[in-house]
Amino acid sequence: MSRNGQVAVARGLEKVYRVGRRGSPALCGVDLELRAGQFAVLLGPSGAGKTTTLNLIGCLDRPTGGELTVVGHSVHGNGSAMSEGAMDALRRDHIGFVFSDFYLLPTLTALENVQVPLIWRDEAAPDRARELLQRVGLKHRLSHRPDELSGGEMQRVAMARALINRPTLLLADEPTANLDTRTRDEVFELLRALSRDGLAVLLATHDTELAERADTVLCIRDGIIVED
Amino acid sequence: MSGWLRIASKNILRRPVRSILTLAGVALAVAMLFNLLQFQRGYERGLRGELGDLGAHIMIVPRGCPYEAATIVLHGGKWPRYMEQDWYDIVRETEGIAASTGIIMDAVIREGGAENLIYMGIDDDYPSLRGQWEYSAGEWFDGEDTAILGVTAADRMGVAPGDSITIEDGSRVPATPVRVSGVLRRTNTQDDGLIFLPQQTLQRIFGLEEKLVVILVKLEDVTRTEEVASALRQTSADADAGMNIFPLSELLSTLTSLLSSTRVFVLAIVVVALLVGGVGVLTTILMAVYERTREIGMMKAMGAGRLDVFRLIWLETLITTLAGGVAGIALALVSARGMVALLRLVLPHTPTEFALGFSPDTFWLCLAVSAVLGVAAGTYPAWRAASISPIEAIRGGV
Repeated sequence: MSRNGQVAVARGLEKVYRVGRRGSPALCGVDLELRAGQFAVLLGPSGAGKTTTLNLIGCLDRPTGGELTVVGHSVHGNGSAMSEGAMDALRRDHIGFVFSDFYLLPTLTALENVQVPLIWRDEAAPDRARELLQRVGLKHRLSHRPDELSGGEMQRVAMARALINRPTLLLADEPTANLDTRTRDEVFELLRALSRDGLAVLLATHDTELAERADTVLCIRDGIIVED
Repeated sequence: MSGWLRIASKNILRRPVRSILTLAGVALAVAMLFNLLQFQRGYERGLRGELGDLGAHIMIVPRGCPYEAATIVLHGGKWPRYMEQDWYDIVRETEGIAASTGIIMDAVIREGGAENLIYMGIDDDYPSLRGQWEYSAGEWFDGEDTAILGVTAADRMGVAPGDSITIEDGSRVPATPVRVSGVLRRTNTQDDGLIFLPQQTLQRIFGLEEKLVVILVKLEDVTRTEEVASALRQTSADADAGMNIFPLSELLSTLTSLLSSTRVFVLAIVVVALLVGGVGVLTTILMAVYERTREIGMMKAMGAGRLDVFRLIWLETLITTLAGGVAGIALALVSARGMVALLRLVLPHTPTEFALGFSPDTFWLCLAVSAVLGVAAGTYPAWRAASISPIEAIRGGV
């Protein structure tokens, strides 16, 4: 994180996918800034560039143009690009992800799933995992496997897993897409509560009702932020 | 490390039937390898022990296949060729010989081959070559028509010193009673099943006067084996005696080298089995990698590097092959008795004390082979998994 609380800064961020010999632009110069404790929603229709923006900020993919700084580290810009290993380390140490599909490991219990990101550090933190599952309301589901949990419960486990590394930035890509209205609201409120604790949250959605409840709404269309 | 092991082992157990079948392929190959290595070891040890029990350094038999003759001498039986008793005197006069004995053998087959009574005619020198020859009852021959029985033969016939047994074989051998003068203590050699008669008694009863089957020679100095063998060959040639002289060390090395040739062939089959097992593991792990593409993408999104993913898939492969290796060794140990019984049926000669046991060297070697198999089979799937792009994986492609 930079001194002024900036967690992620993008200037003129571009991404062009190559389809055969042709280039297909997905992002055409996105500018955005995320600060610690900010709860921002990236709102836009399908294909607008929401997921691409999240993937670039989350260091899952590389921009083809522009500048990107995440947690004080220059990922892209000024003619230089971060190495793959450094991007892995940045994700491991500073970024949490929540996806619409929860991607829980089916053979592991909720408690074990939450600790998966620690394996890469040769660590285990069952107490913190338990604490996080308690925070997301799953204290009673610690030893349940994903096939024994509801969709909302699986998403909560995924959220606890995203938080196990004490990230600075949480990126959520349509986290409520597969949930009913009541569970959607619960998950949304949990994310809001996390941002109040100082976590920068960027949530991508096409749900305008959810966007109205965010601190900041970034409307994206055809790869450009059209309204801030 | 426990986190890695837990996740790797749970991934393997995700498809139990497929994993068990893969593991079984490795287990069978490792079981074959384990048994092959133990066979070589057990056979050589058994043969060495058997030859050592003879108490001789040089064996002299009539012309013919010396290895066939050696088998008859080691296990007892009927040998169709004989040498003249005079040759024994030629042997005894050769320099460098500490002790020697001439042996004549014959067998009576009863009840269609179900019972085989082997008679060995020996002289006073025989016990001195046999190491510990002790009596559980009675003593050395105390007359012309007396016999000493090995413990198994005595038990089978239900006789003790003082009892009488009758030697007969239809019209070939007329019924001749002999009195048991002694019963030997158990020696765990072929002697346990033999009936010993004074040399001349056996020659008379079986109509083999002045004939011998084998002469065993013990040397004063084992390092002079070749020298004494050459001298005996020269003497035999000069006397036109037609003796086949071969040192037992030569017999051992010839038999083991024959065995080694067979072993190379069997080893080739084992290598093919290991390769098939390895390909099975590779296919299974590769399939698992394809099935778990999205999961692997998620792991990378959470910060797993290429090396981490590589390590995880490698570990899964290694666990599979090592578990297969341990199962294979267990299978080899469980099936050892059956294998020995089968080998005794198939092989022309197996030592009496022949077993496929456990040895730490073979155990560790088989585990090392399993590990190498895991490392080799796991490399490609691990590399494929490590190369998965998180973006592509999460989108649903590879």
